[in-house]
Amino acid sequence: MSPAIFQTALYLSLALCALGLVWRVSAWFRLRIGPDAQALTLFERLAAVSRGTASALVSRSVFRVLAALVFDVLLQYRLFVQAKLRWFAHLLIVAGFTLLLLMHALAALLGDALFPGYQPTLAPYLFLRNLCGAMVFVGAALLLYARGRQQTDLAQTRRLSGAAFMALLGLVLASGFLLEAHKIASPQAFDRMAQQFAGTADSAALQALRALWASEFGVAFGDPNPAPDRLEQGRELHRNACASCHSVPSSAFVSYPLARVLGPASGLLDAGHAEIWLLYVHLFACFLGLASLPFTRFFHVLAGPLSLLVNSAAPERALPARSASPGSRAACRALALDACVRCGICDAHCSVAPLARYLGNPGLLPAHKLLATGALASGRLLRPDHENQALQAAEGAFLCTDCGRCTSVCPVGLDLEDLWQAGRGDLAAAGLPAPAQWVQARTAVAWADSLEAEAGPQSYSDLYAASAPLSADRSSFSRCVQCQTCTNVCPVVAHSMGSEHGVDLTPQKVMNLLRLGLRELTLGSRMVWDCASCYQCQEHCPESVRVADIMCELRALAVRRLGAVRPTREAA
Amino acid sequence: MKYALFLGCKIPSQLPAYEASTRAVLAQLGVSLVDLEFSCCGYPARTISRDAFVLSAVRNLALAERAGLDLLTPCSCCSGSLRHAIRFLQEDEQLRARAAQALAREELVWSGKTRVEHLLTLLARRLGTDRIAAAVRSPQTGLRVAAQYGCHTLRPSNLAHCDNPMAPTLFETLIRATGASPIDWPRRLDCCGDPLHQANAPLSDSMTQAKIADALASGAEVMCTACPHCQLRLAALQSGSPGPAIRTLLYTQLLGLAMGLPAKSLGL
Repeated sequence: MSPAIFQTALYLSLALCALGLVWRVSAWFRLRIGPDAQALTLFERLAAVSRGTASALVSRSVFRVLAALVFDVLLQYRLFVQAKLRWFAHLLIVAGFTLLLLMHALAALLGDALFPGYQPTLAPYLFLRNLCGAMVFVGAALLLYARGRQQTDLAQTRRLSGAAFMALLGLVLASGFLLEAHKIASPQAFDRMAQQFAGTADSAALQALRALWASEFGVAFGDPNPAPDRLEQGRELHRNACASCHSVPSSAFVSYPLARVLGPASGLLDAGHAEIWLLYVHLFACFLGLASLPFTRFFHVLAGPLSLLVNSAAPERALPARSASPGSRAACRALALDACVRCGICDAHCSVAPLARYLGNPGLLPAHKLLATGALASGRLLRPDHENQALQAAEGAFLCTDCGRCTSVCPVGLDLEDLWQAGRGDLAAAGLPAPAQWVQARTAVAWADSLEAEAGPQSYSDLYAASAPLSADRSSFSRCVQCQTCTNVCPVVAHSMGSEHGVDLTPQKVMNLLRLGLRELTLGSRMVWDCASCYQCQEHCPESVRVADIMCELRALAVRRLGAVRPTREAA
Repeated sequence: MKYALFLGCKIPSQLPAYEASTRAVLAQLGVSLVDLEFSCCGYPARTISRDAFVLSAVRNLALAERAGLDLLTPCSCCSGSLRHAIRFLQEDEQLRARAAQALAREELVWSGKTRVEHLLTLLARRLGTDRIAAAVRSPQTGLRVAAQYGCHTLRPSNLAHCDNPMAPTLFETLIRATGASPIDWPRRLDCCGDPLHQANAPLSDSMTQAKIADALASGAEVMCTACPHCQLRLAALQSGSPGPAIRTLLYTQLLGLAMGLPAKSLGL
């Protein structure tokens, strides 16, 4: 490859990578996640993060950060606890890739300093390169396998960028191994090297050397059974001219078998200048990987460790996102969006994962919620074409029980509870609050009017029978004699007296509306929505009407019926 | 005696002291606990979908059944949810079929074997107050304690199977077993206000404040709870509030102290 093309491509990809990094990192200071982050200026956020970083590094927390560097970043302890197979695969990839980067890709810069006497053809490097490549390959294959096993019936959150990166990694590995294999088998490459290192030998000796390399080292000369004395002559020259700088090719334990396969075609490949274009493919795949690093899943190699270090700075049980200043907190949240690789471990442990399945709403799951949080911060979630996703996110935020399992299992140590808290505030501010809030936007009568205006050919009897059997069945409330016992024992009614925040109806009136067939009038009622489910009414009812159970049903009905006639977002 | 411990969602993240003290006390009383990875009891989904609520609840019952265990919960609301789900399943054949189908996807079965036990009834009924009193090493003599039952511990009584819903004595008996003196207070069976917090915060606060004021006026030094929602609500309203405050203790903490367990092991 001509140095000019190589350098242009290298510098171009470096420049793209640098620009991309600036863009991605700047998002940690630009994205506003959480109500407390909305008013902060860029300068305030930069200052807060600088202060936080400085104070973490000069206090005792520096030891926690160092411990995290060793255990969490280098040894990936958190991943080990959660998923042994993925941990093993991940370590294979990280170790293999790092060694290849230092020893092979940066050989010209670092080769001698880190690896004394480095030569690509010399032991142990010839072997090591293959070992590293194989580690990355096996690691990637294991990761894909682990992912495959983890497939759930919920919509996947894996993004194209992850697949694109894996494909690129595969291309780099494949082209590298093929290039090496081709060079092992190629007569042309042999002749070039023989010319260079054994150029002074006579042609008979060179022929003997060829015979030796063909029979013992896999060069495809097509002379399988040379005479033993010729081999001996070749071996003599090999010892003098080759052996000191070239290990036996079979120590390249991946490329060598590949070379034996390629052997028959190597004449053809030589004629087609395979050595050149394979090198081009290999290098350009690497450059493409470098240039796209900030834009693919691969960015997590920076964001993940950084997130682990940042989160380790806070004392036990007080994650930084909660104990830090609003500016640092805002940065932690934005960083979390980049550090998450959607490994799905949080989803697997999520307390409401079964609910996600039964409701058919993946928006309940942590990995989806994280994406939605990012989409809301960037404004994408509020676009008309994302209406469904926005509603799913709002339901997810409402149903999250704050059990904290996602935070405790996250392999990159994200304070997800803080992110959900922040996201809930943002959703409410964007007009996507919990049902108890959006129902309050109108009175019970106004809601009933909306339902009447909608009045289409639809029948809701199936919905009622299946999801609200008590309120659909007259016999469950027709016994009500309007004695007011329920109202008299209701603590919500009692505390409503003289309060401007009181309820509009009483439990007994709700029962009466049902008796009158005016169910739709109850759905938006404050009494229905402010019911504390304390079951005093039901316990005391002399007619055994299941008042509290009916109230619960009416709320679920309201979410369905009123949800269908409201705008996606309430006016903020 | 062996149970699958159903902590629910609040305790592990927001009230770890309840878990610690429950484990500490039950270990002393010879109750062994098994940890299964349960999911949400379904409670929050009751406002969205009856089906989702029941299916989420019954999944937990099926997990316990697979382990051949009954389920013990220190959370009144979880206990209530699981019992409601059982009732809905018993009443509705089609719902049962949908549940069986959903469980089958995880190779789970619920045949109705799993019993749901609340911590208080385990202590008072299965173990008995005599056994509890026998384990007391440092009686909390003279401590005036208001029992905060928690709605779903008692009601609806045909599901909770706890005590007389109008005039219960179970919690007071348990308090007496620690050597402390239970007090009578008019609002002891009232709601703590927690479920209302999201829908109507001022009304919820007014309910909580009324309880605290009543316990104080009735001469209580400590309000004793057996539900994370009550405990967290009472503590949250009092933190940073200028009004009169009352100490809140989980029953497992009170019992642990009476057993002479180190305060740290009880999350105190």
